Formats: sequence, C-alpha cells, structure tokens
Amino acid sequence: MSLLLMKAMVLIMPCSLLDQVAMAQDGELQISFTHSANGEPIVFRDSTYQNAFGENYNIYKLKYYIGQIKVEGLDQPINALPYYLINAAGTNEINLKLPPGKYKGISFLLGIDSVSNCSGAQSGALDALNDMFWTWNSGYVFFKLEGRSSSSSADLQRIEHHIGGYKAGNNVARIIRLHVDGDSSVEISNQKITRLTISLNLDRYWDAVNPIRIAEIPVCMQPGLLAQKMAANFEALFTLNVVP
Amino acid sequence: MQSLTRNEQDQPEPLKLEIPMGWPKPEKNLFEKNQLTEQGFQLGKKLFYDARLSKNGEISCASCHQQFAGFVTFDHDLSHGVNDGFTTRNAPALVNLAWMQEMHWDGAINHLEVQPLAPLTAPNEMGENLDSVMLKLKKDPEYRRMFKNAFGNAGISSQGMLKALAQFTGSLISANSKYDKMMRGELPFTEYEKRGYALFKANCSGCHREPLFTDNSFRNNGLPLNRFKDIGRQQISNNPDDSLKFKVPGLRNVQLTYPYMHDGSIYSLFQVIDHYRNGIHTEQATLDSSLRNRISMSNKEKNDLVYFLYTLTDSSFLKNPRFGPGELKPAKAEHHLP
Ligand code: HEC
Ligand code: HEC
Repeated sequence: MSLLLMKAMVLIMPCSLLDQVAMAQDGELQISFTHSANGEPIVFRDSTYQNAFGENYNIYKLKYYIGQIKVEGLDQPINALPYYLINAAGTNEINLKLPPGKYKGISFLLGIDSVSNCSGAQSGALDALNDMFWTWNSGYVFFKLEGRSSSSSADLQRIEHHIGGYKAGNNVARIIRLHVDGDSSVEISNQKITRLTISLNLDRYWDAVNPIRIAEIPVCMQPGLLAQKMAANFEALFTLNVVP
Repeated sequence: MQSLTRNEQDQPEPLKLEIPMGWPKPEKNLFEKNQLTEQGFQLGKKLFYDARLSKNGEISCASCHQQFAGFVTFDHDLSHGVNDGFTTRNAPALVNLAWMQEMHWDGAINHLEVQPLAPLTAPNEMGENLDSVMLKLKKDPEYRRMFKNAFGNAGISSQGMLKALAQFTGSLISANSKYDKMMRGELPFTEYEKRGYALFKANCSGCHREPLFTDNSFRNNGLPLNRFKDIGRQQISNNPDDSLKFKVPGLRNVQLTYPYMHDGSIYSLFQVIDHYRNGIHTEQATLDSSLRNRISMSNKEKNDLVYFLYTLTDSSFLKNPRFGPGELKPAKAEHHLP
C-alpha cells in the first residue's frame, strides 16, 4: 500500500511546478479521486463485491489515465502537464490554479491522445515503468482493472481488463464531462482553496451502457471491438461533488 | 562513488545522423526529441551488448542480433531466449531503422524507442521486468557514470535507457555495399550483376524499393499459414484484409541474413526465388495483386538475380568496430550484480 501511495504522489507532484508559475491572483482548485463499489470505498483483494449480474469479484488493481483537464467556461486546458495516472490503491490529488470565477463543471480525457501514444519513451506518469504500456503492441493501457472472480473462466479465475487503443477505429479515449448539480457551481476564489471530489462508482462499469459479464469477458488485452464496447461505460462511472 | 566524479563535466557531444547520398530523408526525425550524442550512442551500445539486462544474465540484444550477420540471428530460423524459450518469428536485420515508422514483422511497435520493451519483457526472449532492469543498472557505477554523461543529472531512468538504445539501433546504417558503390559511380557491376539488377527492377522493386529495398508496407507474398498460426498484421489491425501480411523486409546484407521470411521458413536465396516462381499460394485472398501470376524467370535469370542480391552485402557495415561490442570488460569480474 505505502509503495503504491508513494508512486501515486510522485506522479501527481509535477503540478507543484505549475503552482510556481501560475498568476498570483489565481485561485486554487484541489481535485481528489475516490473509488467505490457496492456503495463502499474499494478495499483491494479482501473485499468481495457483486456486479449487476450477480457475479462476485475481488479487486486487485484499478488504475487509469486522465489528462487534458478543462473547466467549463475556460477554453484552454488549465494545466500544461497533461497526464496523471490515477491509482485507486493510493491517494490521488491534483492541484490546479485557475482564474477566480464560477464554473459549471469540469471535463477530462480518460485515456491518452494518439500522439502521446506514439512519441517513444516517456517519463513521469507515462513512464513504461508504470506498467501501463503494452510492450508487444505499442500503446498505453488507458484503464486497467484486475481481480478475481468465481465467474471467470480464465486461468486462476482472473479478471484482466486492460482497455486502450488510440488508432482510428479503435480509439477508446473518452472525454468525460462532469457537472455540479442544478443551480450550484464550482466557485474559485483567491481567498480559499476549492475542493472537488471526482468519484468513480465501479458498479456502473459492468452495465452503464453495455453489459460486461465477467463470465463472458474475463480478459480484454488489446485494442479492438471489445475494448470499445467496454469503454462505452466509462462516462457513467464518474460523478463530481463540491466539498463544502 | 569515485567514478561519478570522473568525466563529470563532459558535455555530451552532439552527432548528426548522416543521410547517405541519394537517399530520401526519413519520414520522421527519429532523433528530434532524443538528441543523438556520442555518449548516448556509447551507452546504447553497452546496453545492447549487455546480457545482464535479461532475467538469467545470459541473453543480450546481441545474442539474437549479431553484427557479422547483419544483426539477425545467424543461421537460425527462430532465436533462443531465456529458459530455453524460442521466439516464434525470425529475428529481422537491424538496419536503416531510422527510415522505419513501424517495427516488427507486423508493425506492432510504433516507435523505435519503445521497441526494447518487447524483448526485455517477453518470457521467451529476455524474460525480465523493467523495475528489475532499472535496479541492476542503478547498482553499476559504470552505468551511473554513462547515464550521467549522456543525459546529465536525470540519472538512470527507463526513458534514458530506451532513448540510448534507440541512439544505437537508429545509427545502424548500411549504405556502402557494392550496389551503393556502383550507384555512386565508384565501381562497375559485372554483366551478371547488371542483368540481375534489371530483373530486380522489373520484378521485385515494387515492394523492395531502392535504396532501402523496402517500401515499409505490409503485404502478403504468398507464404502458407505457419504452425504458430501467425496471421501477421491482422493481429495488430484486427482487419481481416490484413491477414498474412508482413512487413516487406529491406534486403541489405541479405546474403548473410538467412534463413528468410518472418518465420525463417526459406533457407536460401535460390529457394526464395523459387518461391516467387512457383511456391506462391495463389489461393490466398489477401495475396498481393502483383504476385497473382507468380513471377516467371529462367534458371539462368535466377542465378543473375542472386548475383545482384549479393551486391547488397556491405562488409564495412558488418565489420564496423563502431557497431561491434568493442572491448567489453568481463561483466562478472568488474561489477557485482545479480
Ligand atoms: C531472443 C531473441 C531476441 C532478443 C534477445 C532481442 N531481439 Fe530484437 N527481435 C527478435 C525478433 C524475433 C524480432 C521480430 C519480432 C516480431 O516481428 O514480432 C525482433 C525485432 C527487433 C526489432 C525490429 C526490427 C524491424 O525491422 O522491425 C528491433 C529494432 C530489435 N529487435 C531490437 C532489439 C533490441 C534493442 C534488443 C535488446 C533490448 C533485442 N532486439 C533483443 C529477437 C530478439
Ligand atoms: C508484392 C510485394 C513483393 C514483391 C513483388 C517481392 N517481394 Fe520479396 N518480400 C515481400 C514480403 C512481404 C516479404 C516478407 C514475407 C514474410 O516474411 O511473410 C518478402 C521477403 C523477401 C525476402 C526475405 C528477406 C528476409 O530478410 O527474410 C527476400 C530475400 C525477398 N523477399 C526477395 C524478393 C525478390 C528477389 C523479389 C523479386 C523476384 C521479391 N522479393 C519480390 C514482398 C515482395
């Protein structure tokens, strides 16, 4: 746990660089990520969860890339360093500076753009050491869920969902747009830190748009139709909350 | 730690990739974000020849890519990896890679810098994991010094390792064969070679395009589906139209790179030409249209064509000490690595 935590923090650290160059009058936004299944924060390995099809499963790994964060109402991405590796086994906080104002929501890319998929050896969040790069078929795994399930017919009853693909026709990078409820908004001021939580609800992973039955799809290891089918569920995974 | 201070102040010396006379410019500049330097190249070469990068310390890149044979595994259809593993494909020649956008027989690799991740981690090749490779490198004072000289204070990183390897492999250019000398007007061809060259231009250069002797496309030249059920490009594109398509190999040093084809299934150049004359599986739906009628050629023409193919042998490349292991210090005596 502590190693994973350290890795997650190291990956997210580069935004402190941006802090230094940001305009003095900018407000501060802190985004943290939480992950739940069956209404509970995810506990790795030991807790058993159940999906919409009554299949039981345990979670060993949950990691995904996000980048190109934008707030609704500002045109540019607000941070220059575009990708973060979110590891549900650690603490994931992103700190951003942006001009004071009221914003309706936030969007980000779940995945990696195609140019960054073919730009050779990289560092930081995109370092091959993070075990999110397909070595035998170049390209990043955008979303990785691993675990075990009695419904899985794979070796050791594995669940191995490595979802990625950047080429035309196989691209599964998805823009996730999140809004705050009703009339409220995300207010950024230079007086205080605004805190947002992006929550991933894994229950939606199995059935939000397409049904993903573990019995049918224990393993997805390459770009293609299957990965696209699974990525269709991505947008529904996330919700946005302002921490009062 | 003494060695860390030695040469510490050296600035990496920039190098320029020489584009041989008359060659096209590479489509993309391989070294645009990876400044080619003498120090980076030397580090890449050391890594290339270092068997400690593999799980059991026995297999280096050079075990499967031997310089004297144009950087293929000499006289092997398939190559040995760790734990008595075998590759399922023939090791291609490493040459003129700076002109290639997609590596491996099926184009699975989209950048030369990320290519080493495949052999390093494949259980039938070097069988390692990256974290462990990094640990080994970090323990070695010589690597600490060389990474520093090549990349400054960034230290030893996977990125640096991969970029250095690309500096070495991307610098492997063969452009000084008899063919090149003839093209530059330095040497004449014999009568056989001239006839062979004409035959080549008439029958082969549609795919094996000069001067690289490949157009870097993926095509089916009519080999049968092999025992590994290797469908080639289709595995990567998921497109049935790509079934049995493989990258057109550049033919430089082809005299020495036998056995031939993605699975090493054809042993000699004479047999390769026999394949094009009467072995092509014309029933295959994805067979290249230019080979539908096979290639007709007399036995005499076959000999001439082989004489021409021999002119692609570049001994100054095959023996260039710059690309060889040099005086590698015995690994075990110098460093104490797992
Ligand atoms: C066990 C044998 C083996 C080892 C070790 C090995 N290779 Fe290879 N290499 C191969 C085979 C086989 C292929 C073809 C793979 C394919 O097409 O799927 C290949 C392909 C390549 C290619 C692509 C060439 C092309 O024309 O597409 C490059 C570059 C390369 N290897 C470099 C390296 C480097 C660098 C290392 C060390 C980090 C290395 N190889 C280690 C066997 C090996
Ligand atoms: C339609 C395109 C095409 C034409 C025309 C063609 N080739 Fe090829 N050639 C290929 C492809 C594709 C391969 C690799 C096939 C494989 O491994 O599955 C290949 C492989 C080879 C190889 C093996 C090289 C190696 O390193 O393994 C040789 C030698 C060769 N061709 C020579 C020739 C000659 C000589 C001619 C003319 C008589 C010719 N080719 C015509 C596409 C072509």
